[in-house]
Amino acid sequence: MIVSMKKSLRVNKFSVILAGLVSCIVRIAEAHHSGSMFDQTQSLTLAGTVKDYQWTSPHCWIQLVINGPGGSKEWSVEMAPPPVLYRQGWRPTTLNLGEQISVVINPLKDGSAGGNFLSARRADGQPIGRPR
Amino acid sequence: MKGIVRCVWWLLAGVSTVCADERSARFASLPNWSGLWEQAARPDSTPVEGAPVGFADAAKVSLAGHPPYNAAWEAKSAAIAGTLGSQSDIKMCEFGFPGLMESPLMFEVLVTPEETALMFEGQEERHIYTDGRSHPKPQDLWPTPVGDSIGRWEGTTLVIDTIARKAGRIYMSPQYIISDQAHFVERVRRTDPDHMEDDMTIEDPLAFSKAWHVVLRYQRVRDVDRLLYQDCTENDRNPIVNGKTTIAPP
Repeated sequence: MIVSMKKSLRVNKFSVILAGLVSCIVRIAEAHHSGSMFDQTQSLTLAGTVKDYQWTSPHCWIQLVINGPGGSKEWSVEMAPPPVLYRQGWRPTTLNLGEQISVVINPLKDGSAGGNFLSARRADGQPIGRPR
Repeated sequence: MKGIVRCVWWLLAGVSTVCADERSARFASLPNWSGLWEQAARPDSTPVEGAPVGFADAAKVSLAGHPPYNAAWEAKSAAIAGTLGSQSDIKMCEFGFPGLMESPLMFEVLVTPEETALMFEGQEERHIYTDGRSHPKPQDLWPTPVGDSIGRWEGTTLVIDTIARKAGRIYMSPQYIISDQAHFVERVRRTDPDHMEDDMTIEDPLAFSKAWHVVLRYQRVRDVDRLLYQDCTENDRNPIVNGKTTIAPP
């Protein structure tokens, strides 16, 4: 999904790195829908700017804006519900709007700009949250 | 006159004290299951295509196993399975019973002499009445997602009898269905300070050729100190479009 960019949300750098076909550990957001919409054989690393961070049920979401050669694109990163994320060290205040982060996802099979959250790091490389 | 009133008052107060003492004694005899619990298979990892969401190994999820259907319901279940193709269109906000007992949701247990209550993270609840009451009369009873549960204590084991569970899906897999005639008997006990077990037998005179026996296990939750809130309808961004679950814009 290509969206218009607000100046304050622009990123200085980007990366969309196809990490390749890997067998990865996945925590599909629990109990709301099956995970077959996601390609669990691929992990994709996205680096960009947090446009929105929704601490909501049945899923938390990160809206990540990524700049690339073809322009900017907003990705919807689906996470677990708040109780699960809380137990992984996340909080409603964990991310700040405008913050640079990278996330690893299983992308949607249909190729649209979304995926299932696997892990995240801050711009300095520090992991966000912890695995259970 | 004042003397009579005073006598009646002291008599009532005395009865009340005796009742309170009896209740306290009954309370003290019950096991302490207070706190938070979760399915012991909860540590999730690699999902399997077609397996229930949130579980690594479908084989460990008892309620996702194949029920002992009779021929007619085996065909009915197979027909549903045939229409599925994939599980991409599966979506649910309510587990109901017995699915709740094997859901990935945390739950809190409150044991009192009159009732044991199980309160789940997704706001579903089970109330098991242990005050000696019976199930409601047929005219006062209708099928619901959690059914009607009464129980009794056999030592430190809670024996639960549940009827009037609404017909339909048992768990995440839509092809595994039961009728509203299903009868559930559970024997719930704590196996050690941090683990519980639910030994469940399901009989369904319409759907099953024999009783279905499953054993579900739980572990104590230690990394949070209260039941955390979750409302599945708050921000649902996963519409099903052309039979496939998608992600909607914010």
